[in-house]
Amino acid sequence: MQEKDNTRRKVLIGLTTAVSLSGIPFAATPFIASWNPSARAKAAGASVKVDVSKMQYGQQIQVAWRKQPVFVIRHTKESLKGLEATLSKLRDPNSEDIDELYRGQNLTRSKSSEYTVIAGVCTHLGCSPKYHPEVEPKPWDASWAGGFFCPCHGSMFDMVGRVFKGVPAPTNLPVPPHFFNGSILTIGEDEELA
Amino acid sequence: MINKYKLSYNFKWWHAMSLACIFFITDVNASEGGPCKDYGECDKFKYSLNDMESLQSGASTFMNYCYGCHSLQYSRWGRVATDLQIPEEIFFDTLVFDKSIKSGDLMTGSMSKDSSVEWFGVAPPDLTLVSRVRGDDWIYSYLRAYYEDSSKQYGVNNLVYPGTAMPNVLMALQGSQKLICKNIPVIARNGGEKRDGTGKALTTEKCGFLEVPEGSGQLTKDEFDKVIYDLTNFLVYVGEPSKATRERIGWYVIFYFLIFTAVSYMLYREYHKDYH
Amino acid sequence: MSEMPGKLFGWLNSRLPILNTYERHLSKHPVPSKVNFWYLFGALASVVLIIQIISGIWLIMPYSNTEEEAFSSIEYIMRDVDYGWVIRYMHTTGASMFFAVVYLHMFRGLLYGSYQKPKELVWIFGCAIYLAMMAEGFLGYVLPYGQMSYWGAQVIISLFGAIPYIGDSLELWVRGDYYISGITVSRFFALHVVALPLVLIALVFLHLVALHEVGAGNPEGVDIEEFLDDDGIPLDSVPFFPYKVLNAFVAIGVFMTVFAIIMFFFPEGGGYFIEMANFEKANPLVTPEHIAPVWYYSPYYAMLRAVPDKLGGLIIMGSAVAILFVVPWLDNSKAASIRYKGIYSKIALALFAISFLTLGYLGTVGVTEVRKTMSVICTFIYFAFFLLMPIYTKFEQTKEVPKRL
Repeated sequence: MQEKDNTRRKVLIGLTTAVSLSGIPFAATPFIASWNPSARAKAAGASVKVDVSKMQYGQQIQVAWRKQPVFVIRHTKESLKGLEATLSKLRDPNSEDIDELYRGQNLTRSKSSEYTVIAGVCTHLGCSPKYHPEVEPKPWDASWAGGFFCPCHGSMFDMVGRVFKGVPAPTNLPVPPHFFNGSILTIGEDEELA
Repeated sequence: MINKYKLSYNFKWWHAMSLACIFFITDVNASEGGPCKDYGECDKFKYSLNDMESLQSGASTFMNYCYGCHSLQYSRWGRVATDLQIPEEIFFDTLVFDKSIKSGDLMTGSMSKDSSVEWFGVAPPDLTLVSRVRGDDWIYSYLRAYYEDSSKQYGVNNLVYPGTAMPNVLMALQGSQKLICKNIPVIARNGGEKRDGTGKALTTEKCGFLEVPEGSGQLTKDEFDKVIYDLTNFLVYVGEPSKATRERIGWYVIFYFLIFTAVSYMLYREYHKDYH
Repeated sequence: MSEMPGKLFGWLNSRLPILNTYERHLSKHPVPSKVNFWYLFGALASVVLIIQIISGIWLIMPYSNTEEEAFSSIEYIMRDVDYGWVIRYMHTTGASMFFAVVYLHMFRGLLYGSYQKPKELVWIFGCAIYLAMMAEGFLGYVLPYGQMSYWGAQVIISLFGAIPYIGDSLELWVRGDYYISGITVSRFFALHVVALPLVLIALVFLHLVALHEVGAGNPEGVDIEEFLDDDGIPLDSVPFFPYKVLNAFVAIGVFMTVFAIIMFFFPEGGGYFIEMANFEKANPLVTPEHIAPVWYYSPYYAMLRAVPDKLGGLIIMGSAVAILFVVPWLDNSKAASIRYKGIYSKIALALFAISFLTLGYLGTVGVTEVRKTMSVICTFIYFAFFLLMPIYTKFEQTKEVPKRL
């Protein structure tokens, strides 16, 4: 008796299993999607504005965007020129490994020829690198020409956030979308990119 | 033990059920006063959340006439623009009067709570959930049930919400509605109109009718009803912005479980043969 | 390589009774071969329990258990969280469906005598589950901190005040404040999401272990253990897997269809599943015009209102649930199933079911003179059903129960 029914049975088992299993991704969707940033988080993570006209040359300020540090540096002419000197130390001087938003526009990597805007989060394991603009020997680098040093695992970046060779951090510090309106810098959105 | 008092009555479940029905039928008459108070039965409202034109017009009425006092504090600007399919630029240019507002902000109102208490005696309530607390029928009836009443602070009263603290902000559109008395035919016991000996229909004066004097408002009655329809529709949307999505997804889920039931039933029948 | 899974399983099985448990409680567990749809609600109850646990865990994540934010965090879930509304409606619908299924499951128990010897403990654990569910449902309803949350809790907590001597201080102690405040919500939250679910799961476990020890019943009230085959397996039984699993699958399909219809099209259940007033934030100064419990408590609420005395109302309400626990010792009938019981039992059960439903209706509507009288009559029938059970089950003519299914 079992023998003759077997095909029908197998087909039906397959069908029921298939229907049941196909429901799982749909049932899981709300539970997975509800972990995405909520509308509130997105609203709180909208762009921030900062007036950069009061910054002194060589000064670095920290701006919180999405509760994460973003570094804004107003470069001196010297420090921009000094970038040339350390070029050979960099792993990826042209930011080819990352999605660089404003590639080739300015030495600063930003939309301005004077200010650098970079995410202040080390690409290694998420610590916030420290700003060391002084051109002087440092414990971590005898020929330090100014830049960022991460206290957690010793990653080094130059004055515009490009990563050095031979450090744990894999890539340059990314540049967030931003635009300048006069002296008002908006971080987190860029009308041209949108 | 043998039962000496065996009943000859053959019990069936429906005997008991019909007994219960008697109570429920007699209880129907005891229904309480409806939510629309002096208005009587609320007018029925059927939302149409896929009618973008209606929702957009409702949003526009709300922003122009209501948002001055009432907030929608759980709702976000950008979400409304997206859901109502209004391009964000147009939305912010035409409906958002405060230019510092960002897309993700909550619609927290444009009036401070203190000054509103000073003006109206009570703070105008937030209206995000009004369609869920009061129901859409209630809103639709309430906004159309204002009438002139010189004894009140703003010269108006409302049949649905007697003594309401809100002035009739839409009066310019509606005109000044009055509460009037009418002569209506007397209904005879057989259901027809009652007539006197000469065949003339008997009438009796009844009050509580709402009437707008012709031409006192910018809109006709139908146009005004449509404005309120759209406004109510918008409030239904704001009360539960995912409602349209919910009902759409619902059909797919039900369809899925019907298929699931069908195949598992076939498999069940198949295995059922083993022991029957 | 193909032996690896087998070896791993062997290693595990010699240290953990996997196969034995699986065979004893699932694959080979013998179940009566002939049952009707009434026997499916237990499986459905466990399905809802799982839905409630999963959706509940996901609701804890965005919920905020403070006085200021509890209410708005619900709207946050409904609007700002992606698919938050699905999870929340799943939980609210699940709560009502849980009670619906459990009420039908309990009625099955009364219908076919599922409490009779040797299933007394199964029944008692079941009653304890019901009690825990009532507490769980009540605590959960307070969490959105809407008007009904507040005033419902106000009424229930005030009931403690009816207890002589310690009442007032007990009330204050439960609230931890002079009104139902953030700390009360916070306490109820802890109980709702941790303490009571643990109790519920433990009770469900005991309910099932006890059931598997004595074996599932059937609508005929036949003891299938009396006729065994050569292997000691009841002749009138089929193994749980795959037969009963497939049976449950069909039931789950139908049940989930109903669940989806409610969840996606009528989540408020016309104001019976989520009450309209609960869309307004709790206001300790203004009682809503019409205050009624959610439908699954309304029979007891009607009983409470039928008694014109605070302590008396509490006692009646408490006894109405407590009396369920002793049903196994009230039924003197030789037959388990209503099919073979006498006419008195049939009428008694019918009247009981009707009065319970009527009480349920009365608990949701306002009070009038007629309704109050009805409540008293129905409360009386409710208790008479249980209290007179020893008598009418003893002195009625039962039909002879067959030997085989």
